[in-house]
Amino acid sequence: MLANTAEAWGAPAKFFHWTVALLILLQIPLGFAAALWRLSPLKLELFVWHKSTGMLILVLMLARLAWRLANPSPALPPQTPAWERRAAHASHVLLYALAIALPLSGWVINSAAAVPFSVFWLVPLPAIVTPDEHLEDLAKLTHFSLLVALCLVLAVHVGAALRHHLIKRNDILIRMLPGRWRHA
Amino acid sequence: METRVRPAWIVPLAFLISTQALAADWKLDPAPSRLEYVATFEKTAAPGVFKEFDARLARFEPDKPEGAKLDVTVKITSADMKNGDVNRAIRGPEWFDFAKFPQAEFHAEDIRRVAAGRYLARGVLSLKGAKKELEVPFTWQESGNAATMEGELNVERLQFGIGTGEWANGSTIGLGVRVKFNVRLRKEG
Repeated sequence: MLANTAEAWGAPAKFFHWTVALLILLQIPLGFAAALWRLSPLKLELFVWHKSTGMLILVLMLARLAWRLANPSPALPPQTPAWERRAAHASHVLLYALAIALPLSGWVINSAAAVPFSVFWLVPLPAIVTPDEHLEDLAKLTHFSLLVALCLVLAVHVGAALRHHLIKRNDILIRMLPGRWRHA
Repeated sequence: METRVRPAWIVPLAFLISTQALAADWKLDPAPSRLEYVATFEKTAAPGVFKEFDARLARFEPDKPEGAKLDVTVKITSADMKNGDVNRAIRGPEWFDFAKFPQAEFHAEDIRRVAAGRYLARGVLSLKGAKKELEVPFTWQESGNAATMEGELNVERLQFGIGTGEWANGSTIGLGVRVKFNVRLRKEG
């Protein structure tokens, strides 16, 4: 089944979830390595990988958001308390917003800094703002702040999934796993 | 003693005067003039500009430019690539080495017309301590006391030791640099 149902996530939803999860896991250390490396050809290459991965995450997230809005989402277990439902909803809204805002703020940094950049060395990325050093500094601060927020919300997200699996013993975590592990 | 010009001399004399009037000395009008270059940064065009430069074209006669002389000086320290980090990096010894080589020069005394309005200046470019022969093609449009000189050429940065050490490999910063100029000149005198 491609589409989600009231009980299960479809294959596209799982693909988006795990692909973006993997890319974010790569993206964070890549960003730190690129930012902290001494000026050298390798630093420039790390930045192309980081920025290209960011643009890939942005495209995947926009497609994922459209898919999520066009599809039902599987229901939470009936006994879930109201505060948990609100917390789950809020944390998912935040995760989507941060996973979109982070690459956008990176795009602003790159544009404000007037760094020539082609996604994966292939597609030149147009600037979304005019070159401006103050805006560049502001966008860098925003990018880092959003990263801190993402790490906090991710910790809540992973912690909550593990709590559902290990303590509450429901299928919240299992139902997001790819098909062959679902009944393991 | 009579000092009048004999009729037989008038034609060659008039010719001499007219050719001298056609061959003019030209100097740069800096405000509308542009000297730009396009480097390659991670396979993406990276434009830069030299904000300060001077050019002088002496004894230039559009139909017979052989006797002309072109002298250009470029203040390398006026290079601007629009990005603070890049501008700081290009000052260093691996790139332009502002401290040791603040100025580049191009001198050409071999200027030929290749077609109507199109010329080729062959001369020597001194840049970052290296001297290399260079051919600079340009177009020439003259009206009254003003003229526009425009052209572009490729410069191989390694010939001038620009981008040494780990940068000498052209994979992140390309080896060829496109230099473009569009300058306005005014007749001197």
